[in-house]
Amino acid sequence: MAFIELDHVTRTYKKGDVEVTPLRDVSLSVESGEFFVLLGPSGSGKTTLLNLLANIDAPDAGRVSVAGTDLATLYGASSARWRAAHVGYVFQQANLVPVLTAYENVEIPLWLFPMTKEERHRRVSLALEAVGLLDRSDHLPKQLSGGQEQRVAIARAIVADPPLLVADEPTGNLDHESAEGIMVLLKRMNAELGKTIVMVTHDPRAAGFGTRRMRLDKGALIAEPTVGVAS
Amino acid sequence: MRLAFLTRKNLGRRPVRTWVTILGVASAMLLLILVGSLSAGLDRAMSGSEAARTLIVYRQNRYCPQTSNLPEWYADRIAKMDGVASALPVKVFLSNCRASLDVVAFQGAPAAALLETRNFDVISGDADAFRTRRNSALIGKAFADRRHLAVGDRFRFGTMNFEIAGVFTSSEPVEEGVVVTHLDFLQRSSPGGKPGVVTQIEVKVRNAADAERVAREIDDTFRSAEAPTDTRPKVAFLEGATRDLREILRFANWLAAACFVVMLVLVGNTVVMSVQERTRELGVLRTVGFEGRHLATLVLGEAWTIAGIGGLLGLAATWTVIRLTHLTIGSEGVIVEFVTSPELAAKGIAVALLAGTLAALVPALRASRVPVVAALRGT
Repeated sequence: MAFIELDHVTRTYKKGDVEVTPLRDVSLSVESGEFFVLLGPSGSGKTTLLNLLANIDAPDAGRVSVAGTDLATLYGASSARWRAAHVGYVFQQANLVPVLTAYENVEIPLWLFPMTKEERHRRVSLALEAVGLLDRSDHLPKQLSGGQEQRVAIARAIVADPPLLVADEPTGNLDHESAEGIMVLLKRMNAELGKTIVMVTHDPRAAGFGTRRMRLDKGALIAEPTVGVAS
Repeated sequence: MRLAFLTRKNLGRRPVRTWVTILGVASAMLLLILVGSLSAGLDRAMSGSEAARTLIVYRQNRYCPQTSNLPEWYADRIAKMDGVASALPVKVFLSNCRASLDVVAFQGAPAAALLETRNFDVISGDADAFRTRRNSALIGKAFADRRHLAVGDRFRFGTMNFEIAGVFTSSEPVEEGVVVTHLDFLQRSSPGGKPGVVTQIEVKVRNAADAERVAREIDDTFRSAEAPTDTRPKVAFLEGATRDLREILRFANWLAAACFVVMLVLVGNTVVMSVQERTRELGVLRTVGFEGRHLATLVLGEAWTIAGIGGLLGLAATWTVIRLTHLTIGSEGVIVEFVTSPELAAKGIAVALLAGTLAALVPALRASRVPVVAALRGT
C-alpha cells in the first residue's frame, strides 16, 4: 500500500451560487519518501488536493488514505491529533503568529504533545538549526525577511517530526534567491530526513526539485515528463 | 499546552484596545461595588443587638429631626411606665435633613444616662472627661475616621464648638457615625434648639415582647397632649428614616445591572474584533493540530483575563475611594457607611468573570467551529 492513496476522489464546493468541482474522480498514489510536485493553473484544485491530504477538508466521494489511515475514519479531536502527528503544512504565506518570536512560532505544534520543556527546547533548536535560523530565535516575524519567515514556517512544519510535508506554493511570495533557498531546504528535508513531500507550485524551477511531477487540469491528473532533479 | 502564554501574547497585540477595555470594565466594576457597598452599609445600619427592645418616640407626623419637638419631661413620664428599663431624651441636630453625602449628625443627651444606656466602648480618650466638661463630645469611630479627628481636637460646626473627649465604637453600627454631646449644650447652642425640648426619646423595654404594648401605651398617654407622639420599634424607625436611601438604592441597582451590561458589551466587542482579525491564524492553528476546544479556551481565556484584570482594578479603585474618603451617606439623621467585605469583592469578581464568559461564549463557539479551509482563505 502506498504512503498516500487517493481512490476515485471527487470534491465539489459552492463558490457563490456556482458549484465548482476542482477534483473529479481523481486517483493518485505517492510512495513514502517521494517529493511529489503538483502543477496546474489557478483554480485547478491543487490546494484542494493538499487540504484533503492534510485532513482539513474531506472528499464528497472516494477515499483518501495517508500513512495507512483512512482519513474518513477521523473526525473532531481524533482528526486534529492525527494532523498534529502526521502532517506539516507549509503555506504560500508563512502565516506566523506575529506576536510570537521565531522560537515560539516553531514551538507551537509541540504544545500539543506531552513533553518536557527541555525536550521542546531540544526539538525547536534542532528545527531552527535545520533551517539555518537558530541565531534568529528571538526575532519577531516583522524582524525577519520573507525568506526567513518561510524558513521559520518550514521549521514549524517539521518540528513535531511528521512523516508528511505538504507545501502550497511555498515560494510564491519570494524573490528568486529566497525561493531557491527554500527549495534547497525542502529538498534536504526530503533527502536527509526522509520526509514525504507533496508540493503545489506554478514555478517550473521549483517543480524541478521534485522526484515526480503531475499536472492537475479540469479536475483530472496528468503525468508530467520527469526532468532532471535539481539539487 | 501553553494557552495562557498565547492568551497573554494575544492581548498584547493591540495594547491600547485591551487597556481601554480593561479600564472600562474597571469603571463599571467601581460603580457596581459602590452600589453593593451601600446596600451592605444599609443592612449593617439596620443591625444591632439592642434593636429588638428599643423604641423611638417621635413627634407625630414629623419626619425630619429638625421638626420633631417633644417636651423633655416626656422621658420622665415614660420611664415610670410598666416594663420600661430606661427612657433617654435625645436632641438631634443635622447639617442636612435629606439624603446627602457627608451629613454631620449631633445627638445631645444627659451624659450619665447616655453612657449608661448606650453600649459605647470608648476606645480612646476618657468617658469621665466627657461627663464633666459641658462642651465636650464623644465621636463615633466612623465619624473620627471620616473627619480625621482624634481626642483633644476641637471641632467647630457653625456656632458650636466642641472639644473631643473620646472616640467610641458601639454595638449599634449606626451610632458610630454621629457626634454625641451634652443635651443642654446642644439645646442652647444649636440653631433652632430650645431648653426643655428634645427631638426623640429612646426607650428600652425590659422584655422585647413588651415593646408593642409599651409603644401603644406611650402614644395613648400623649394622644391629647400638646405634642402627640408616634412610637415605633427602632428597626421600623430606621427603615422610615432611610426611605430615601432605599429609593436611591433601588435606582442604583438598575445602574448596577447596566454596569453588568456595559462589561458584557465592552469585553464582547473586544473579543469579537480580536477573533475576526485572527480568522486565518485560527485556521493555521487548526491545521497545526489544535482542537476546537483549544481555540474556544483561548478566546474564553482572553475574555476572562480582560474581565478579571478590569474587575480587580475596579475593586482596588473602590476600596481606595471608600478607605480614603470614608464615604458615608445620611438620611434623617441615620448615617450609612459604604461597607466593603471579602464577600462583596468575591461577588464582584464573580460578576466580572460571568460577564466575560457570557461575552466570549459566541465568539469562542465560532472559533472552535471555524471551517479550516475557509479560515485559511481568510473568508
